[in-house]
Amino acid sequence: MADRALAFARTNRWIWPALGILLLWAILTAITARFSLHSLSGVAISASFLLLPALGQMLVVTTGKGNIDLSIPSMVTLSAYLTVMTSTGSTAGFLLTLAIVLAATALVGMLNALLVLVLRIPAMIATLAMGYILATATLIVNAQIGMFAKPALLGFLSTGRIAGLPMMCVIAVIATGAAGLLLARTAYGRKLFAVGQSAEAARLAGIPVARVIASTFVASAMLSGLSGLLLAGYAGGAFLEMGTPYLLQSVGAVVLGGTLIAGGNATALGTLLGGMLLVMIVTTMQIAGLPPGAQDILQGVVIIAVLSVAGTRIGRR
Amino acid sequence: MNASMEIDTIRPPAARPAPDALLSLAGVAKTYGSTRAAQAIDLDVATGEVVGLVGANGAGKSTLMRIVCGVTEPDTGTMAFGGRPVDLVAFSPRAARDAGIRIVWQELSLSPNLSVAENFYVEQPQFARLSPLWLADYHRLARDSIERIFPGARIPTSRLVADLTLAERQMVEIARAASDPRLKLLILDEPTSSLGAERSAQLRQFVREQAGKGVAVVFISHKLAEVLDISDRVVAMRNGRLVWQKPAGETSIGDLVEAMGGAEAGDRSTRPALDAAKAGRPVRVRLSGDLVSTGGPIELRAGEIVGLAGLEGSGQRNLLQRLFAKPRPGEVERDGEVRYVSGDRQGEGVFPLWSVLENIGIGRVARLAALTPVKAADQRPLAASLAKRLALDESRFDAGILDLSGGNQQKVLVARALTDEAEIILLDDPTRGVDIAAKRDFYRLVRETAAAGRLVIWHSTEDLEFLECDRVLVFARGEIVAELGGDAISEDRIVAASFQQPAAGRTAQAAKRAGAIGPFLLRAIPFLSLILVFAAMSWMNPLVASSFGIELLLAPAVTLVLIALAQMFVVGGSEIDLGIGSFTGLVNVISATLLVTSPLLGFAALLAGLAGYCLIAVLIHARAIPAIVVTLGASFIWAGFGQTLQPSPGGSSPQWLTALFTWSIPGIPTPLALILIAAAAAFLIDRSPAGTVLRAFGSSPLALKRGGWSPLRYGVMRYAIACLFAMAAGLYVTAANNASDINAGGSFTLLGIAAVVIGGCQLLGGFIAPLGVVAGAVTLSLIGALLASLGVSTNYNAAVQGALLIVILGLQAALVARGRRHG
Repeated sequence: MADRALAFARTNRWIWPALGILLLWAILTAITARFSLHSLSGVAISASFLLLPALGQMLVVTTGKGNIDLSIPSMVTLSAYLTVMTSTGSTAGFLLTLAIVLAATALVGMLNALLVLVLRIPAMIATLAMGYILATATLIVNAQIGMFAKPALLGFLSTGRIAGLPMMCVIAVIATGAAGLLLARTAYGRKLFAVGQSAEAARLAGIPVARVIASTFVASAMLSGLSGLLLAGYAGGAFLEMGTPYLLQSVGAVVLGGTLIAGGNATALGTLLGGMLLVMIVTTMQIAGLPPGAQDILQGVVIIAVLSVAGTRIGRR
Repeated sequence: MNASMEIDTIRPPAARPAPDALLSLAGVAKTYGSTRAAQAIDLDVATGEVVGLVGANGAGKSTLMRIVCGVTEPDTGTMAFGGRPVDLVAFSPRAARDAGIRIVWQELSLSPNLSVAENFYVEQPQFARLSPLWLADYHRLARDSIERIFPGARIPTSRLVADLTLAERQMVEIARAASDPRLKLLILDEPTSSLGAERSAQLRQFVREQAGKGVAVVFISHKLAEVLDISDRVVAMRNGRLVWQKPAGETSIGDLVEAMGGAEAGDRSTRPALDAAKAGRPVRVRLSGDLVSTGGPIELRAGEIVGLAGLEGSGQRNLLQRLFAKPRPGEVERDGEVRYVSGDRQGEGVFPLWSVLENIGIGRVARLAALTPVKAADQRPLAASLAKRLALDESRFDAGILDLSGGNQQKVLVARALTDEAEIILLDDPTRGVDIAAKRDFYRLVRETAAAGRLVIWHSTEDLEFLECDRVLVFARGEIVAELGGDAISEDRIVAASFQQPAAGRTAQAAKRAGAIGPFLLRAIPFLSLILVFAAMSWMNPLVASSFGIELLLAPAVTLVLIALAQMFVVGGSEIDLGIGSFTGLVNVISATLLVTSPLLGFAALLAGLAGYCLIAVLIHARAIPAIVVTLGASFIWAGFGQTLQPSPGGSSPQWLTALFTWSIPGIPTPLALILIAAAAAFLIDRSPAGTVLRAFGSSPLALKRGGWSPLRYGVMRYAIACLFAMAAGLYVTAANNASDINAGGSFTLLGIAAVVIGGCQLLGGFIAPLGVVAGAVTLSLIGALLASLGVSTNYNAAVQGALLIVILGLQAALVARGRRHG
């Protein structure tokens, strides 16, 4: 029985963050009266905003070779600014805004892929540098930003509720489901996992390796863009440090969720739960009145600790 | 499954008591998964004896030698050396070296980013003196050792190994191992594979001299004539066993070939000669142009089995890769779909996380459109029918691929290639390290595949396998120099053709020299750009060139210089530290707060930071976690501590700290002096014995580990050095600003990496250049000032720096790619 449970946990690694969430919730409920179901709903909304970039990060990390997207925070911020700048308040205008944000971020994702695949710059450096360039762009538009005519549809998507459930959470669950299906049930998912396990074997098996890797950078950029757009709707505007938390947290959600940091395997459900656990830890610390510095410390420690315990070795070798 | 057939053959004589044996192995066995790499091996080597060791690829020679050298611990068996039993559990590469056992590895183990002399140090650290000129001894040692074995080789000992030719590298490798004064047993694993006839003769002369002095030599080679020439006794291995041995004088090449297991392949009598051309089968592949020097294009037709022969690395693999690439008109044309089966199963064959079924199924899935639904169950019927043909046990479909033996893994890869009806199958040395039973299945399968109308193109490193082919194309120096067909296919003819020299052999050599301009340019970039930027600034404002101007300009550069040097040492290990900027910020905060109010606590905090860095190094190495993610996490820890200590900018510098950084020598601006000191320190550390080893780990960690160096200890040392430089940077910021700001540190991470890259370092491979990094860092901070004086808003700084980094990295990639194509 114990063996079977352990085997289940080994193949379904999302079980660990799920257990973590339950444990933390139980402890919180036991020791503090202030933590309620209502707080949990706040956690869920924050985690939903984190989920989109985290799914993108998950795809990039799954391609292996130490690939990572460090331009996510700048992408989120820049998209929020684009949203505020292009919004006219009308629904048709919102669709245009959506198209602009998606097109711009797709372009940046392609540039990232170009740097990594054609110029062979390590992903971490390429995306870090790209992040700085985007941050500069944001800084420049920051001076010209005007009033935010928030479209009603954006308001509904980011802050509305449907049958009592926050719309954001519905979006997050749909995104997780879609990503989960993509990974587990389509040829794309198989190819992505193959590339992450061994790019050379994948190439010789006939998989278009470069196209698969490029697609993950584009997806990561677009998902971050979407998150920035929704975040602008939620916050009712854009500010410079908006995307900053997503640098560490997108990586943290992936790591905590049980996706292999060395690539080759990923779980969308795990990323959802991992993000939720991470946000819950941060919220707990806020409730406990810990300073922001302490929150950063603990997030860093949790990520390193989980990585150290889980290890990254592929198979038995 | 792995019913490896017991081969009835001449058993080696039972281990006789040998009182004069230097090395004595008894009952040694080693199993990897289900592959028996070595079994029941008894071998004695006497003092002064030269033993030739032969065997097909994967016969177990290398495993056996790894055991003797302490790299691999055998599962069972005993070993004695110099008359004393060896404790095999505690036996390490270093212990083997101390005992006088030296090996020249088949896959060369030199560090390409080290000079020849430095490579000698890494192998023989015992001669190093405590002196800045310690390396001079190694230049002498390297020169003398190389000239002793290869008179007239004249290899410059200060040149980087990366800039040497393959033959020169092999000579260095041999000389390095043979230069040990304690040498008692020398193992040469394919020592002459890249050497010409003259050098090879010199080496054999040297081996004879050494044997005369009492050194025992094990000579492993596929060049059987050389083995017979040099050896006193020849031993043959097959499938992990010692199957045969004889004094060299009493045997012949034919005997050796038979002993190595030639008889299994080449069951030609059962195979009717096939005349594909006459049968009017369609042409699938057409080879022409410079590639073919036999006159006229070569056409390969459906239903043929075509072998690609020649010495290893003569262009066979290159042709397979060109066939696999998208078809386009030219020397290599193909008509039809291709599938590729590699014999390098670990490196380019299996997907280690997947089951057998998934590993087969990907062959079809790879060609489906992205959103096509895929279910594991769909693969089963097709895979099952393939498995039957391949004699692969269907009940193991759900087992992990790594649980299978090498032979069965190879069958899985073949099954993957056969999942759809591709017209051309490319085989890249597929039977490497596969047992005989699986090989026989494999040969049968190849025949069936061809009979079904496919073209099979088969590169093998085992010449006997070509007897399975209808036609054999023999390569030499990248060209097809002979085409053998039908009864003309024989081992002798293939070997004879392999040594032919095509006319155009020299061009590659000339091109390599021309490509060497790239690295030089990379090294010069930081200094040229520094001069350029400085000249531009002094032209715009003559005051810049004054002592005061320099002081003002360079003051902010000191921080970046120190941070860049810290990052450089991490990059030297092919890793990157994303936490350096934040750590500098933390040290800045600690020194402006704790160090002022309670110095003891302040020092303790700094020490704790150092301990934290060492812990990071331990985690990265002991748990094999990527440095990026760990240091990214750490950067938040550093920033978090800084934030907690001092949420908003403030604090002040302790007086002694200010004094430490503000002294002045008349005539020399203080920042310039500080930068020079930092540069000198980094240079000396990098060129010290320890720094040499650190660099070597960046390019060839495996070889270093085999040489007895501890990756963990040097990993910790690397991060400790980086930490100390970053700490100096943090202290300097405090002294210079008399205040601290935790958020100021973060942006230095990217700048530091940019300076390292501009400085001419490569992010992978351990190529670092301390002086270049200093010049790069100064240039970068001057660019900031230059932009400001041009009236560009500081808002653009980050973008300019990021863009500069990308441009330089792109340039580097282009130059390196060009150099590689020429080399």
